[in-house]
Amino acid sequence: MTDALSSLWAAFFNPLWTPVLVGALIALLAFAQRWLADQPLSCSTGFACLAQDITPGTRRDRESDWRVVFLLGIVLGGLLAALSDGSPAWQGTAAEFGRFYTALVPDSAWGAALWWIGGGLLIGLGARLAGGCTSGHTIAGVAMGAPASLVASAVFFAVAVGTAQLAAWAMGV
Amino acid sequence: MINRKNVLFLAFGIGFGFLLSRAGATSPAIISELLLFDDLRLLWVIATAVMVGGLLTWLAWRFGWRARNTGKPISIQHKPFKRGLIAGSVLFGLGWAATGVCPGTALAMIGEGKGFAVWVGLGIVAGSGLGSWVNQRLTRD
Repeated sequence: MTDALSSLWAAFFNPLWTPVLVGALIALLAFAQRWLADQPLSCSTGFACLAQDITPGTRRDRESDWRVVFLLGIVLGGLLAALSDGSPAWQGTAAEFGRFYTALVPDSAWGAALWWIGGGLLIGLGARLAGGCTSGHTIAGVAMGAPASLVASAVFFAVAVGTAQLAAWAMGV
Repeated sequence: MINRKNVLFLAFGIGFGFLLSRAGATSPAIISELLLFDDLRLLWVIATAVMVGGLLTWLAWRFGWRARNTGKPISIQHKPFKRGLIAGSVLFGLGWAATGVCPGTALAMIGEGKGFAVWVGLGIVAGSGLGSWVNQRLTRD
């Protein structure tokens, strides 16, 4: 019994959990939002609220504050995960880019910053036009059987996979 | 502002960010392995999340589970086929492939201390503002 508990304790600090377990936990958490607040999982709409909140001359929409608070929670959750990833001290988790993003992203500091901002612009603009992102459309929408979410998710994956495969082939990585 | 809903969603966010990290979704390297079909662990995460979510949705519908805040059956919300859905999905897919980041994971990465994600996050905020503006134009005419 104590053995089982201690191995469970050790497993908690593993930076990567079994995929099926994490997937199930994400589904339970997303469903808890619907059970307690009747509100499906949503990330990109929160970004739109944040953008509106910080735009000069617009009034902050207090009714959707919880969306921005949710985004803040995700940051804290990432911090908590990094603090409990089994490494002796937190120095900030180094990002691992792998061979693909190492080859794809410009080497210079400013070139890389511009690349990341440009990518972020595409993600934000695309998510608003599509009416959702991998959270709202894929995890929440497809689970609720929404046809528009199925189409959006299929396009997300088809374009991302196609682009990445093509770029990897072109760069020879 | 501290109220019940905000506290609840702060907790939901913390849980979601933590799980995204433990899933490996906060590593561009692991995202690239998914997109290049080198390692499908994230596909299993997403597939399981969708299947378990679908099962819960069905159970809630079949047995009329009620939402705690409204007292009414948990709603099944279908996002609309809005104008710009396909174009937006294509742009999103391009940005996702270019960075290995999506809106939720960008925030979790910032929390983990991955500095590059701050740039991506700024881009997402600006892009979202731009997208809201385009959406207004699309619905006007």
